[in-house]
Amino acid sequence: MQQLKLGEKSFQAVNVLLLVLFSIVMLLPLLSVAATSISSGLAVDRGEVQFWPVNVTLASWEQILSQKSLWLSMLVNTAATVIGTFICMVVSSLTAYPLSKSEFKPAKFIILLVVFAMIFKAPIIPYFLTLKSYGLYNSFWALVIPHTIVAYNLIILLTFFKQVPKELEEAGKIEGCGYFQTLFRIVLPISMPALVTVGLFYAVMIWNQFMHPIMFIDNPHLYPLQMKLRELITVTDLTSLASTFQDRTLINERTLRSATVLFAAIPILLVYPFLQKHFVKGAMLGSLKE
Amino acid sequence: MNTVIIGGLKLLIGFPFPIILALMINEVRQIFFKRTVQTISYLPHFFSWVIIAGLTFDILSAGGIVNEIRSWFGADPILFMQKAGYFRFIVVLTGIWKEAGWGTIVLLAALSGINPQLYEAATVDGAGRFKQMWFITLPLLMPTVVILFLLNIGSFLDIGFEQVYNLLTPMTYEVGDIIDTYVYRAGIVEGQYSLSTAIGIFQSVIGLVLIVSCNKLSKKVSGEGLW
Repeated sequence: MQQLKLGEKSFQAVNVLLLVLFSIVMLLPLLSVAATSISSGLAVDRGEVQFWPVNVTLASWEQILSQKSLWLSMLVNTAATVIGTFICMVVSSLTAYPLSKSEFKPAKFIILLVVFAMIFKAPIIPYFLTLKSYGLYNSFWALVIPHTIVAYNLIILLTFFKQVPKELEEAGKIEGCGYFQTLFRIVLPISMPALVTVGLFYAVMIWNQFMHPIMFIDNPHLYPLQMKLRELITVTDLTSLASTFQDRTLINERTLRSATVLFAAIPILLVYPFLQKHFVKGAMLGSLKE
Repeated sequence: MNTVIIGGLKLLIGFPFPIILALMINEVRQIFFKRTVQTISYLPHFFSWVIIAGLTFDILSAGGIVNEIRSWFGADPILFMQKAGYFRFIVVLTGIWKEAGWGTIVLLAALSGINPQLYEAATVDGAGRFKQMWFITLPLLMPTVVILFLLNIGSFLDIGFEQVYNLLTPMTYEVGDIIDTYVYRAGIVEGQYSLSTAIGIFQSVIGLVLIVSCNKLSKKVSGEGLW
């Protein structure tokens, strides 16, 4: 019995140790970049900066934050995310609700189509040409419209709507609710947890989108954050920015790049605790269906 | 061809990783520690590939931490991002860094659904932790793993345009150019619509065939399937 306990203890210890190591490896890149971004260029050049900043200076940050175009793309991104999420939520819930009703006969067929669209990915070029012919090329709406319904999110909502007790809806009907009133006054308020989750799925997706902007947006004024970021990270751009500084002891390409990367990561980091809670729920709701 | 190799590597190395991680997290008894590990490992899932590529370029650069650590052991710095030989592994590793933690969620949910009485019975019969894991946890986890595997096979050729595009440099085109990035360059940048459409349809059809046939196979072998 004693032996078993010893084995148990060492097992636990090794396991915890490995997981601690794993967590450190997960965090190291972020830590290193954070340290680089607030260190002086000279120290970075000398290779003194690893996980702890050396000669702390905010010069790189000031430089990045004074880039007007970066703030502009932040604005574009925020606008796309807010408007996009709103449209997505309205359209998705209006679509999912009738599909969750068994009285609605074509529902099965439509769901099959949705699942097919989920598995069979549209090839890029026909997709591009179709959306272009809708006049979305170089338009702000290219950042919003193509995301309106994501099959996976639709299925999460659908699953949730199905669980709403029938009695509640019937009670509503007796009180004189029409279909729309039933949806907005009874079903949606009850489904709040699922709505929040799906809304966050959409919001993060639109915030992080890269594929659509790179296909459709050619106009630098419409660059969303991720594209602006890529443009800045591509070495040439920052090198020219850095070379405008006489004082290379404070700023160099690496400190600038680190500050840019971190700048883009901060919004996500800020809402992360909130995101995590709801995303985990969403991932489970989605897996139930399978 | 690159697509097949990178897809294969991702499946081979990237797929088992969340399973191992989930098993390890599941064995932790201290709730606070468990939460912390989970919080840290889910985090990269929310970053865009542009951010992750930026991080990757930085830590693998000449003065980045990876080369710095190598220099402690007296090794010369390597410009990882410009060497063709490393590219595929970088794709696989960054993929793991970003998604491994996230991949554990579904598995952990399945693990917490296992009846604790089974473990008690095993302990009475004298099974240690490893034996419990091998004879109880793994077999009961299998259905979930099979389903995840099927989903992975279906997206076998769909490596992720954003990831590869952001990590790719002209120096690594030869080993890293996947169907998606090629189609993007040929089709949208250069305007060869018909050729790249054909390639794209080919890719989608292969994906569909793969997922349908694997599903059939798995239904025959294990009785588990997506539909």
